[in-house]
Amino acid sequence: MSALATRPKVDAEIGKAVDLDLSGAWLVDPASGREGPADVVVRAGILESVTWLEAGDGGAEDDRGVVVAPGFIDLHAHLREPGNETAETIASGLAAAAHGGFTTVCAMPNTTPPIDRAAMVIAELAGAAASGSPVRLLPIGAATLGRAGEQLAPLGELADAGVVGFSDDGAPVQHAELFRNALSYAGMLGLPLIDHPEDLALTAGAEANEGLVATVLGLKGWPAAAESNAVARDIALLAEVVRDVPGTRLHLTHLSTAGSLDAVRRAKAAGLPVTCDVTPHHLALTDEWIAGARRFAWAAHGEDGEARDPWRDRGLVAAPYASSLRVNPPLRSAVDARACLQALLDGTADAVATDHAPHTQVDKDMEFGLAKPGIAGIETALGVLLEAVDAGLLPLSRLITALTTGPAGVLGGVVEPGFAIGAPADLVVFDRAERWTVGPDSLRTRGWGNPLADRSLPGVVLLTVAGGRLAHG
Amino acid sequence: MSGAIAGAPATAGSVPTEAPGRAWPHRHLLDTDALTWPQIQLVLDTARHMAEIVSGARPRSTALRGIGVTNLFYEASTRTRVSFETAAKYLSADVVNVSTGGSSIEKGESLLDTMRTLEALGAKVLVMRHATSGAPYLVAREFRGAVVNAGDGRHAHPTQALLDLFTLVRRMPGGSLRGRKVVILGDILHSRVARSNLWTLTAAGADVWVCGPATLLRGFEAWAAAGVGGERRFTVTTDTAAAVRDADVVMALRIQKERMAAGLLPSLHEYAARFGLTEERLMTAAEGCLVMHPGPMNEGVEIAADVAGGPRSLVTEQVASGVPVRMAVLSLVVAAAGIGGGAA
Repeated sequence: MSALATRPKVDAEIGKAVDLDLSGAWLVDPASGREGPADVVVRAGILESVTWLEAGDGGAEDDRGVVVAPGFIDLHAHLREPGNETAETIASGLAAAAHGGFTTVCAMPNTTPPIDRAAMVIAELAGAAASGSPVRLLPIGAATLGRAGEQLAPLGELADAGVVGFSDDGAPVQHAELFRNALSYAGMLGLPLIDHPEDLALTAGAEANEGLVATVLGLKGWPAAAESNAVARDIALLAEVVRDVPGTRLHLTHLSTAGSLDAVRRAKAAGLPVTCDVTPHHLALTDEWIAGARRFAWAAHGEDGEARDPWRDRGLVAAPYASSLRVNPPLRSAVDARACLQALLDGTADAVATDHAPHTQVDKDMEFGLAKPGIAGIETALGVLLEAVDAGLLPLSRLITALTTGPAGVLGGVVEPGFAIGAPADLVVFDRAERWTVGPDSLRTRGWGNPLADRSLPGVVLLTVAGGRLAHG
Repeated sequence: MSGAIAGAPATAGSVPTEAPGRAWPHRHLLDTDALTWPQIQLVLDTARHMAEIVSGARPRSTALRGIGVTNLFYEASTRTRVSFETAAKYLSADVVNVSTGGSSIEKGESLLDTMRTLEALGAKVLVMRHATSGAPYLVAREFRGAVVNAGDGRHAHPTQALLDLFTLVRRMPGGSLRGRKVVILGDILHSRVARSNLWTLTAAGADVWVCGPATLLRGFEAWAAAGVGGERRFTVTTDTAAAVRDADVVMALRIQKERMAAGLLPSLHEYAARFGLTEERLMTAAEGCLVMHPGPMNEGVEIAADVAGGPRSLVTEQVASGVPVRMAVLSLVVAAAGIGGGAA
């Protein structure tokens, strides 16, 4: 259990090299697959030693207290700079990331202007350096010019400037031929094309997952087919492109439906180079939250796996239409949420990504259907996933791989999470036994309106060390 | 979804028909879903009392004297706005009308800011019509007075459902809808009237059917199977003849021309042929079958002119019922919110 003796004490300031003696905390090393109590020593930011302890050596007896893991990697975040610094800046976004245990953040290119030129990448990296945060920002470049879906962005120049992949994210490329060309060209450069799969013809004006909640609340339905359609198209194109360009990689982000995850499962079984991620909110929250339910997804379906009816259960405890729950893709049914969890367990989903999407109060605190979609969840991701662990549905070791080696694999070796002796320490220390309350005062993001506000979550991040330097603690 | 969530504690008001077991706790009326059957009956009883004021049998009420009632309409509406305005005036309220064609976004002011402005100008009751489902819930979260939903998107139109019920109960032999077959015919998907009526009509024990083209019934089969409130079943069909057969009441809904542009319907002509309510179709209905329409009507499309103007039609009675029912709602929410008049 949580032992005070293992609580790290660090004198350094944010951004400064860390000296650290962690004794007997529960260490999870996904690179070697080993976990157990260990002593960790860091000197001037360099990992000096990791000593695994035997039972009875005075270390943690189980993984329920203080846990040490490699720093988390977020494949999908929005930092809003340049263009919407009221919602988030690189500095506030990276501070939020560190508070959530992340030491690497992939930033989506839908800034204003978008990251579709080398100069924008360079400015973004300069902004990260100037922020003073040691959290690593990995830029994602736009796939098409202006994210307009009409012609390719200068993918080669973007690659030379340091992007780790390409995506038009929330403005997904609808033109199949252009998408095919983007896949080929990105494949030639050895970088993944990241798609937010959405058939926009099926989602015009859509507000909430098509299902009982949308029907009763009179919200325009957002069909699951909008996602599975796009995923099927992407996979069909990938199957052809990969024959010409063997380095092609397709990454599907924030998959939210049972059907689209099944399609990825089959494509992986067929040997196609496709990866995908799921978000904490699609795993843990469901559309019934919009009606006013506040139970986690795993409590929202029956023994038979079918979604329960919150009206029948008298499960509606909050006012309906909370705009903090408006997100793209929308919160789905309990059946879909279960499929996201299953995909994580069986490896269909390679990673958990947060899709951290901060908005200002002006853009978010409004009519449900008019509010900007997005949940700023980089700080609550760990806590939400730990709720699934505490519910007995997700092994802690899988939670860790989904936030470390899983996303590292998607990125293709740009980041190597682990405990390499002699390298800069890159790790997170959190206490599973301690809970914290979500709210504006406890969050670092500038984004308004977390749907978990006023709720307590397990897992206080005690320390985040990125590249040997203190990021949070 | 409860209109009572943000509610202040109920305060015993001056509602004449209040009785133990059916107190009115709702400071806002946002939908009919939060209403128990005794509370629905309380509205109807109160409305009967109010109807005597409207008819001149009783003097005008001063229940809302000095209380600011603001009609905030983001969608054009004559009938509902005038009905609320008339109702408020019968209760001696101070009425202000705010109409705006565009949404709050187009105006550049947020809905909450507009609400705060109106509140600062003395609004104690906000009667609100908005094109976005759920908008009144946002306002009710912060407004210090009472919010009455006059229609939000495709979600709810609670006073319409209550006036429909008031009208029907008056005309139904025995004054009860229990076991009566009530059909809602038309564009169910986009209808706030249909949704609010599903709550009240099933609460009244009616055998409710919804009927329309498959494209305009999307999702309702699942709701029917789950039941309204998780328990009260209804029937969904695309077969107009089956729906109308032995019906005691048929309520036709307005078809919007936008449905063709959206690809949901081939043509108004085809709609009228398959789903239009005609005397011929009504031959198989129960004897004395009543016909309703929330208006405004497209005569010759969803309802034939001779049906709309014929002896079965309750259309003008529905309009007339709107005033006493809205008077009842206004007086009940004002009492529950503890809103005082005069200089308060």
